[in-house]
Amino acid sequence: MPPPQLTDIDLSRLGMEVPLPRIDHALKELWEQDRAKTRASLVNFAIYTEDPCSLARNMEMLESITAEHACRAILILNLPDGNANAPRAYINALCRPYQGQQVVCSEQLCFILEKGTALQVQNMVFAHLDADLPLVLWWQGSLTQHFDERLHSRVQTLIVDSSRWTDPAAELDALSEALESRTSHFDVRDLSWTRSHFLRLALAGCFQDAQALAQLPQIDRIEISHAKGQRSAGLLLGAWVAGRMQGELQSAGEEPVFARPDGPSITLHLQESPDGPALSSLTLSGMNVQIHVSRDGESRFVHVCAHCTSHEHEEVFPADVESDAELIGEQLSRAGGRTLYASMIPVLRRLV
Amino acid sequence: MENPFQETLFHRNQAEPCTMVIFGATGDLTHRKLIPALYNLAASGDLPPHFQCIGFARRDKTDPDFRSELETANRKYSRQTHSDELWQRFEQSIHYHRSEFQDLEGYRSLKDALDRFDQQRGAPANRLFYLASAPEFFKPILELLKQAGLNEAPEGRWARVVCEKPFGKDLTTARALNEVVSQTFEEKDTYRIDHYLGKETAQNIMVLRFANALFEPNWNSRYIDHVQITCAENLGMEGGRGGYYDTAGALRDMVQNHLFQLLSLVAMEPPTDLSADSVRDEKVKVIRSLRRWVGPEAVGHNVVRAQYTAGSVDGVERVGYRQEDRVNPESNTECYVALRLYVDTWRWQGVPFYIRVGKQLPKKATEISVHFKKPPQVPFATASMLSNSENTLVIRIQPDEGIALRILCKQPGQALIMQPVKMDFQYSSSFGKASPEAYERLLLDAMLGDATLFARRDEVENAWKFIDELEHAWHQSAHPPPMCEYPAGSWGPKEADELLAQDGRQWRLL
Ligand SMILES: NC(=O)c1ccc[n+]([C@@H]2O[C@H](COP(=O)([O-])OP(=O)(O)OC[C@H]3O[C@@H](n4cnc5c(N)ncnc54)[C@H](OP(=O)(O)O)[C@@H]3O)[C@@H](O)[C@H]2O)c1
Repeated sequence: MPPPQLTDIDLSRLGMEVPLPRIDHALKELWEQDRAKTRASLVNFAIYTEDPCSLARNMEMLESITAEHACRAILILNLPDGNANAPRAYINALCRPYQGQQVVCSEQLCFILEKGTALQVQNMVFAHLDADLPLVLWWQGSLTQHFDERLHSRVQTLIVDSSRWTDPAAELDALSEALESRTSHFDVRDLSWTRSHFLRLALAGCFQDAQALAQLPQIDRIEISHAKGQRSAGLLLGAWVAGRMQGELQSAGEEPVFARPDGPSITLHLQESPDGPALSSLTLSGMNVQIHVSRDGESRFVHVCAHCTSHEHEEVFPADVESDAELIGEQLSRAGGRTLYASMIPVLRRLV
Repeated sequence: MENPFQETLFHRNQAEPCTMVIFGATGDLTHRKLIPALYNLAASGDLPPHFQCIGFARRDKTDPDFRSELETANRKYSRQTHSDELWQRFEQSIHYHRSEFQDLEGYRSLKDALDRFDQQRGAPANRLFYLASAPEFFKPILELLKQAGLNEAPEGRWARVVCEKPFGKDLTTARALNEVVSQTFEEKDTYRIDHYLGKETAQNIMVLRFANALFEPNWNSRYIDHVQITCAENLGMEGGRGGYYDTAGALRDMVQNHLFQLLSLVAMEPPTDLSADSVRDEKVKVIRSLRRWVGPEAVGHNVVRAQYTAGSVDGVERVGYRQEDRVNPESNTECYVALRLYVDTWRWQGVPFYIRVGKQLPKKATEISVHFKKPPQVPFATASMLSNSENTLVIRIQPDEGIALRILCKQPGQALIMQPVKMDFQYSSSFGKASPEAYERLLLDAMLGDATLFARRDEVENAWKFIDELEHAWHQSAHPPPMCEYPAGSWGPKEADELLAQDGRQWRLL
């Protein structure tokens, strides 16, 4: 019997159901079925979710992530309202073509828990890691529950998406606490922050130009257009841009204001647009200067348009990162270490 | 003032605005490599802002004609899919400049064009001159660049030159070329392309050696028996290549540059830091330490040259080298060469480096293999059990970039039988993402001012010094070593096998 929130169809997508103690054995058999397969792994990539509706989305995402990033994928669905039945496990191989054949494969393990405890969640993760490879964990649940020290002390990279948080303040507090804990060494990546990556790159590219750079002190307004539900991406981007211009948060609220030691204060104006990408435009303006970075609809490029006193120019930059899979892929391609995002947490906490 | 938003560019460096001038812009290299590389840099957001590119060649063309030819080429050769949206913007930065290489007026009008761009931009830009012409034009181009005052960068900017291969055809011509270059540009602004260095796996050699504690302690004559470097091609002189190739030969075309670069990376000492000069200081020491083969006897003993005769590759009949299009029927040019080299340093005392390169071999592959010594004693094994059992580390440069390690294991069963097994890492399996093309990386580095992956003057000249002795023994001695033969589709002449057999070794089977 499937758990109440899931249908047999949902479960059939997860691969072959195997009893938990037989997982390693079943994986071995899976590989032995086809001698031509190449098993490839660079990281353990685990997803934790409590939302049964996200199952299909997560499966699709894993398929597309493993096409570029060989990993052992572990998906844990913990149903808070289940009947406390025993956990169920499924295995699958996600393959991509190489020289015309589906031969390069990543392993996918999926676990369904009902009313799982923090300890059970940890066990599921720790018992099924590909040894010696780093652990990247995308925590789609609330950080205030089940995300305890024993778990995060073993994580190398934690991925969150602040745009999905219902209580951002509580989540940020939990995150800060985890980051400060003595045993933790993880670096944190927020997909909301990654969403602004292409706009930040385009902006940085634009200010490689000395003329534009000279106008920077004149800027007193930042405008950002974001899609519904992506306010946190806009806030993060705005706070970062203001911070890079020496702006210190002076007042939060609807239109946050950042004061500068010398130069005008900067006002951040966020505007929700009915459709379009998570972030569709960023405009910096002030006396005699306007820098407009925008992305139209489905375009894979952003257009930068800079008007300064004496000149005007346009550039095109890539904006190839939009879907969750692409955002995660971007994170998996990055080296570890200090993240800019971590330094943004205190100001974000004041803004939410 | 520094760009405060730069910190977001974490793992990438962005170059400052520049204008690139390509000399020989209607040629094959520009169409197949340079423009697709620039386009891919644009697609990844790595081209500097305000980038402009001027193509310099002699045919009459308008900007739209030139752009449309390049667009066709880009659709065919670009690594990433061609996007009309990006191309429309990118092509705006491409311009055509018609002039003969030897006409000073053409350089003066080029200067006007560059100044015009600077005016539009509101500030002077850096300048990158790319010599994608036949090498005999390098001298007039450089001299006229200087006469037109283009070698001097505007205040606070740089002017750099990128030279394509071949860089000279012997020490004398390379020196003469270096003299001309150095009268026009400083060494720090001179970038000599060796596209092998732009390949991901070539760059990975340093990471493999110096970032893994496992290998470096064993990377010396105490543990390594010998090293082999193979560069095999399964093609001959297709597409009219014979004309150029017959004047060069395998030694000049491949060994002096690409294979010596690979050899340097394998044999160099750890650099003190990753600056261009620290790395190149160590690489040039390797070339300087190569034991010289002087005179026909020493050359004959350590170097084998050969031409292919008719045969078949991949089931297709192939003619012999001398019957190829645009090849002199009495040609004395080698299209295969195998060398035994010694790097006379403490680290490599007595360790031979065997290098072979050839055309019409059974497959296309460039690989380095490091053959470790056998263990001094294995208590439970007889000597016969250990034959053909050394550990081998293979670095595959192309195709199928990757690393393989051969180790010895016990075969399951009652008896003690040992079997070599191969652990294989393939870039393409683990990293689904395609690596940038060598030219993308190298063009960006030249814009960024990072010369690590470019050959320095002393590297080039020292390599020629070594090569010249071999060429001299082959072509100017009374009793030159023989030109051997091998049928197309075989793994080279039997004399090359004997070169290793004399030392009790064999070429690795690829
Ligand atoms: N092709 C490759 O894959 C490759 C690879 C590695 C290195 N290289 C090196 O790159 C260089 C260029 O190779 P390529 O294959 O591109 O050569 P190519 O196809 O023969 O092109 C030569 C270019 O030089 C121009 N040119 C020739 N004489 C000229 C003159 N007197 N004045 C003005 N322009 C003149 C030609 O312009 P017009 O069309 O107007 O005559 C053309 O643009 C060579 O040094 C080659 O060794 C090439």
